[in-house]
Amino acid sequence: MGSETQYKEHIIEEYTVDKEPYYVPVGDEISLFKAAYEEKMPILFKGPTGCGKTRFIEYMAYHLARPTTGGKKQSKSEKDSRIPLVTVACHEDLTASDLVGRYLLQGDETKWMDGPLTRAVKRGAICYLDEIVEARKDTTVIIHPLSDYRRILPVEKLGTVFEAAESFLLVISYNPGYQSALKDLKHSTRQRFIAMEFDYPPKDLEAEIIAHESGVDSVVAESLATFGEKVRNLKGSGLLEGVSTRLLVYAGRLIARGIPPRRACQVAVVWSITDDAEAQQSIQEVASSLFE
Amino acid sequence: MVKHNLAAIENEISALPAPVIDEYKRSLNLFGESLEEQDKIAWAQEGLKIAQQAIRAWEAATEYFRASFEIYQIVPFPQFLIWARNGSNLSKESPSIGVSYFRSSPMSIPLIKHRNIETWASMGQNLYNGTWKSTTLASKFFESSPVFLQNLTIYELEMFVNVIATLAQKSYDLATECILLGQRSLPQLHSDREQFIKMLNSLADQNWREVKGCLEAIPRLPKQLNGKQRDHLFSFADRLAASGSNNVSQFLIEASQSLGLLNPEHQDRVFALAELLIVESIDSIPPFIKNTPIVLSKITIAQLEDWLQEGITTLKQNPEGGLSYFRIESSRSESVIESLSSILNLSSVQHIIELYSQALSGSDVQVESTAELASKGIGWAEERQPTTEGKTIYLPGNINRYHEKYKNFAWYKVLTTHQVSHLEFGSFNFDFEKDSILFENLRPTFSDTYRILTSENAESSQISNIESHSSPEDSIETSWITDMQRFFDLFHHRKLALDIFTAVEDGRLDHLVKVRYPGIRAPYRDVQEEALLERPPIEQMPLQQALIEILLRLSLDSGRVIPVPVMYTEEARVLGAIVQKVFNSDSTVEDSSEATIRIYQVISLMPNNQIPEEDWENQNLEGAEYTEEELQQLVSDLQNQSEGDSEPANEEYDSPQQVDYRGEFKPELGQLLSTLKDQDGASSEDATQQLSKEQIEEMLSKSVELQQPDQETGQMDPVGSFAENIMKEAGLDPAPDTPGQGQGRLSHHEEKGGPLFTKEPDTYVYDEWDFRADDYKPRWCIVREKMAGEGDAQFYSESLRNYSQMMLKIRRQFESLMPEMFRKVKRLEDGEDIDLDALIEAIIDRKAGQDPSNRIYWARNKVQRDVSVVFLLDMSASTAEAIDESKRAAEWDAPDDPVEYMIWLRSRRGEGGRRNYKRIIDIEKESMVLLTNALEVIGDTYGIYGFSGYGRENVEFYVIKDLKEQFGEQVKKRIDKIAPLHATRMGPAIRHAVSKLKTVDSRTKILFLISDGRPQDRGYSREGVEKEYAVHDTRMALLEARRESIVPFALTVDKAGHDYLKTMCQDMAYEVLEDISQLPQRLPYLYRRLTV
Repeated sequence: MGSETQYKEHIIEEYTVDKEPYYVPVGDEISLFKAAYEEKMPILFKGPTGCGKTRFIEYMAYHLARPTTGGKKQSKSEKDSRIPLVTVACHEDLTASDLVGRYLLQGDETKWMDGPLTRAVKRGAICYLDEIVEARKDTTVIIHPLSDYRRILPVEKLGTVFEAAESFLLVISYNPGYQSALKDLKHSTRQRFIAMEFDYPPKDLEAEIIAHESGVDSVVAESLATFGEKVRNLKGSGLLEGVSTRLLVYAGRLIARGIPPRRACQVAVVWSITDDAEAQQSIQEVASSLFE
Repeated sequence: MVKHNLAAIENEISALPAPVIDEYKRSLNLFGESLEEQDKIAWAQEGLKIAQQAIRAWEAATEYFRASFEIYQIVPFPQFLIWARNGSNLSKESPSIGVSYFRSSPMSIPLIKHRNIETWASMGQNLYNGTWKSTTLASKFFESSPVFLQNLTIYELEMFVNVIATLAQKSYDLATECILLGQRSLPQLHSDREQFIKMLNSLADQNWREVKGCLEAIPRLPKQLNGKQRDHLFSFADRLAASGSNNVSQFLIEASQSLGLLNPEHQDRVFALAELLIVESIDSIPPFIKNTPIVLSKITIAQLEDWLQEGITTLKQNPEGGLSYFRIESSRSESVIESLSSILNLSSVQHIIELYSQALSGSDVQVESTAELASKGIGWAEERQPTTEGKTIYLPGNINRYHEKYKNFAWYKVLTTHQVSHLEFGSFNFDFEKDSILFENLRPTFSDTYRILTSENAESSQISNIESHSSPEDSIETSWITDMQRFFDLFHHRKLALDIFTAVEDGRLDHLVKVRYPGIRAPYRDVQEEALLERPPIEQMPLQQALIEILLRLSLDSGRVIPVPVMYTEEARVLGAIVQKVFNSDSTVEDSSEATIRIYQVISLMPNNQIPEEDWENQNLEGAEYTEEELQQLVSDLQNQSEGDSEPANEEYDSPQQVDYRGEFKPELGQLLSTLKDQDGASSEDATQQLSKEQIEEMLSKSVELQQPDQETGQMDPVGSFAENIMKEAGLDPAPDTPGQGQGRLSHHEEKGGPLFTKEPDTYVYDEWDFRADDYKPRWCIVREKMAGEGDAQFYSESLRNYSQMMLKIRRQFESLMPEMFRKVKRLEDGEDIDLDALIEAIIDRKAGQDPSNRIYWARNKVQRDVSVVFLLDMSASTAEAIDESKRAAEWDAPDDPVEYMIWLRSRRGEGGRRNYKRIIDIEKESMVLLTNALEVIGDTYGIYGFSGYGRENVEFYVIKDLKEQFGEQVKKRIDKIAPLHATRMGPAIRHAVSKLKTVDSRTKILFLISDGRPQDRGYSREGVEKEYAVHDTRMALLEARRESIVPFALTVDKAGHDYLKTMCQDMAYEVLEDISQLPQRLPYLYRRLTV
C-alpha cells in the first residue's frame, strides 16, 4: 500500500462496483434479476443473513450495463456505463428525511440536501435498502410511489416530484427468520415487489465458495461446508439462525492463516452464532468431530 | 431376740403358712450334715426374720428357703449370709421385690462375682422408692437379671440401671418397658455395648424420651457394621445426645443404614471425617453420615474430604447454609459434588448431546437414558447398552469408565456418534428393492439352501419357499410391515443373519464416521482398540461363532493378524474380503444387506464345531479380495460337503459378545418403530396405517431381537404385550390410560424429601429460596400448568353491564394513552426538519456574537407502546371470604392433616354454592373483566393466570388467558371459572409467570400480583419461622423477576398486609387496598400508572 491513498472516496450515487465480485449462481437468479431489471420491476430479496444477498446485488450491479442512449458518445469507459449502487442499511430510527433529504443550515440560509434515495432516483442507480423491516413503518411508505408503475418520488418539502431515471431500480432485502412478528413487512409494501428467495448454497457449492474466498484447500473447505450443514440442522431446536456462509469463510480464512481449525471454528462460528452455553458446547463438539 | 437353738426357731416357723414350712424342711434335708449347726441357725433365723417383716413376707421367705441350698452350693457361707441379708432388706421394703430377688438368685448368682452380690442387690434397691409402681420396676429388674448378667458386665448393668432409674423419675411405665427392651436388645451388642449404654445415660439426662427409641433401634442396625464401627457410631450418638439433639434414635437408624452400604474402610474414613465436622457443628453430623452413600456414589472417598471441607467453610459463614449443604439441599452442595465427581451423568450433558445428535443427523432426534427404554417393554432390556430405535438415541444414565470426566464425556461422544451414524448413514432406511452399489443384487433371487438342507420337512419348506418368491409383489403389502423384516425373512437361521448384518453394518458405519469426521478419528480409534482388547479368545469359539468374531474384529479395523482355523483359511479370506468391500465411503445399507447374504451363504453351511486349539493359524486378512466366482465355488463345495455329512453334529449357535461402544442394534424393531411413528404423523388415509396388533405380533414372533426385562419373565403373553407397548410407543394406541388429567392429583410428598422430578407434560420444576440457608433448594416445587375450565360467558357481559358507567371512564382513560405515543422531540442535532423556534434563536445568537446552538432540528419520536403484562391472581381458598365480613378469623389457617384439609376445603367451597354476598374472588373476577376490556383497546400483550395448590409438588397454575392467546369467547368463559381453591404458594407461581414473560419480546414487562393475603401453604408458611420462609421466597421470586427486567407489582387486599409486604417487596412497588370494592377502578388506574 502506498502512503498517498489510504482510502477511496466516492460520491454516494457515483459508487460503482469496479472489480468483478465473486458470486456463484445457485439457480436462475441471474436471469431472473436481469429480466426484472429490464422490466423495471422492484425486487425483494428474502433470506438468512450471510447467504450472499449483498454479494449478489454487487455482482449484478457490476454486470448490468446502463442502457446506452443513442446520442451519447460510445467511447465511454466501461466504468461509466456501469450502474451505480446506492446501499442504505435501514435501522429503526431511519426517518423519511434520512432517505429523501432535508434542509440544512448553511451560512445564513437553509440549503436542501438530497437523501440517498433521491440521489439514486436522479442518477438512475440501483438503490438497495438492506434490512428494510428494521425501518419504521411510516418510513417505508415513501417508497411506494417509486415501486409501482409510476416510478416517482414526491418530495413534499420541495414541492417536487422526481421521475426516476431509466436505469433506476429499487431493491430491498429482509430476513423473515429472526425478526419478531412485530417487524413484519406490510402487505401494501411487500406486494409491490417480486420476491427472490435466497438460502445457503448447497454443500458442494458452498465448499467451492469457501475454498475460493478463504484460500483453504478443498478438503478443509469441504469440512467447513459439512460443518455449516450440521450446524444449520440445529436451526429451530438450538439456534435462531444457522451459520452464514460469511462466517464459514471467515473460519476458512483464519485456518488459511495458520489458526488451528477447531479454534478457528470456535471464534468464527461457535461464539458468533450463539450465547447459549450448551448450544456452544454442542457445536464445538461437532467441530471437534470434524476437525483434528 | 437371737435364738440360739434351732428347735426354737423351727417352732416359730411352724406358725407360718405351709409353703414356708415345706420349703424349710426340704432345704434342711438337703443341707443335711454339710452345714454346721451354728450356720443352720443363722440360716433359719434369717428366713424367719424375712417372714416376720411384713404381712405377706412369708412368700419371700418361701423363696428364700427354696433357693438356699442352690446358692449355698455356689458361694461360701459368709457371702451366703450377705446374700440372705440383702434379700431380707429388700423384703422388708417390699415382700414382692424380695420374692423376685430370691427367685432370680439361683440363675443370677452364678453369673456374679461373690463380691458383687451386694452391688446387684443395691441396684434393685435403687429402683425402689416406696410406690407400688417402683415395686414392679424393681421386681422386673430382678426377674430379668439372669439375662442381663449373662451378657453385661456388672459395671455395664450398673450404668444401665442408672438409666432406668433416671427414666423412672419421669415415667415408671417407660422405665419398665425399657428394662424389657434392654433385656431383648442389649445382648445383641458386644464390644460396643458400654458405649451404647453410656449414650443412653446422656440421653436419659438430656432427652429421656429418646431412650426407648434407641433401644428399639438396636435390632434394626444392619449387620454390615462391626462392633468397632458401632462403637464409633454410638460415640457420635452419645455426643449428639449430650448436645440435646432430639433425633438420636432416628440418627442411629439412618446413619447405620447409610454406613451399612459402605465398606469397612470407607466407614472408618467417614468416622474420621465426622470427627473433623463435629468440632464445627454437631447438628451437621446426622445429615453428613446419612448422605455419604449418595455423595460417594458420585465422588471418590478421597474427594469426600474436599466436599466436607467446603461444607465446613459454608458452615462457618452461615450455620443454616451449612446444614442445608450437608443435607444436600443446597445448590452449592450439589455443584461441589458435581465438580469433584468424575462420573458423568447423562442428565448433565443430555442437552448438549441431543443438540450434537441433531446437528449430525439433521433430524429431530431425542436423547434419553437407556433405563427409560428398558422400562418401556418394547423389546429392549439392557439398561447400560447404547442403542437407538430410529427416533431417539438411548445412552447409559451415567459413565464411570475413566477417572477423568473429560474422558467419560469423550466416551459418551463416541457412543453417540456411532448411534447417530445409524440415522445419518441410513441404517433404518433400508429398502429391499433398492439396488446395491457394490454388489450384484442377490436379494430378489436368494433362497436359503441351508433351510432346504436342514429343515426336517424339506418338501414343504421348499414349497413355501417357492411360494414366497414366486409372487413377491403380492406379499409386500400383506405379509411384511418393513423392508428389514422382509429381508430377514429370507433367512432360515435368523439370528445368524442378524449377527452378520450387525457386524457388517456397524463396520460400515464406523468406517464412514472415520472418513467423514476426521476430528473424532483418534478417540474412535482408541475406543476400537479397547474393544479389540476386550474380545474373548477366538480359539475357544465354535466355528460359526468364530467366523462372525473374525468379521467383528475386521469391522473394528483390526490392523493386526487374526487367528483363523487352518482348515478354513480360504473361507475366512473370502468372508474377510466381502466384509471389507463394504467398508467403503460410498457404501449403503443395501450393500451391507448384500454382503450379509453372501457371508450367510458360507457360514450357514459350515458346521458349528469346536476347532482344536492347535488347528489355528494367524492370518492377515487386511485388504483381501475375492471374486463372485470364487464365492460360488466355495458355496457349492460346502453344499456338497454338508450333504455328504450324514451327521452335522452342530453345537447350538451362540452370538459373539457385543461390542460395548456399539451397543445394541435392532434393525427390524428400529425400522418397525420408525415406520409406525412416521405413519402416525402422516395422513390417516394411508392404507398401511391400519396395521393391526396381530400383524405386529406376527412380525415380532419371528424376530430374534426381542428381549424381556428380567423381572417380567413370568408374563403370559410376552409378544402380545410387546406389540401393545410398541404401538403405544408409536402413538398408535389411543387407549385412555391417563385418567384424572386436568385436576391435580393431591399426591403427598414429605416436606423433608429431596429434589423433585417430573416427566409429565406441562409440569415445571423450580428451585425455592431458603433464606435460612441463604441458598436455593434445588428442584423444590412442581408447577402444574392447566387450562382453566370454561364456564359461562354471561358473567363477562353481566359484569360489563353492572360497571357500564365505570367502564366508559376507564376506556376513555385508556384511549387517551394512545396519543402519548407520538412525541415531537425538539432541539435535536439532526432530525426530520428544522425547528423554526430553535433556528431563530440560533440566528439571533449568532447575530449577537454568541456561539449558536446547533440543535435546531425536530423529529417525531414514535414511542411504540410495547408492553407485556402478566396478571397473577390468587385463587387460594381464603378468597372465598365475603368482602364485608371484614374480620379475618383465625380459621384461616388450614388444617395440617391432608384429610382434614380436604374436608375443610370442601366445606369452604360448598359455602359458595348458594350465596347472596360477594366474595373477594368475585371482585377479582370483575376487575379482570374491566381490565381485559380496557386492555383490548390499547392492544398490550397480556396474560391472566390464577394460582393455587397444595404442597410443593402441587402448585397449580391455571391459564385463563395465555400471553400469546387472542382474546375471545373462551377467555370470557374461563374468567367465570375463577374460583377459590387451595393454598397460596406464591414463589413458584411467580417464577412460572416470569418464565412466561421471558418468552415475549417487549420493551416493558410487568408482573401484576393480586392476592388477598400472605403466602401460605403446607410447609411454606406455618409455625413462626416458616411464615418468614414463604415471605422470603416470594421476595426472592420477585427479585428474580426484576433481574429479568420485569417490573413486579404486588396488590393486596389484606389489611394486615403492610408488615410482611414491607419485607416481601422492600423497594418494589406494592399497594394495600383498604377497601376491596375499590379494586375494579383501582386496578386499571394502577396499570396505567405503571405502564406510562
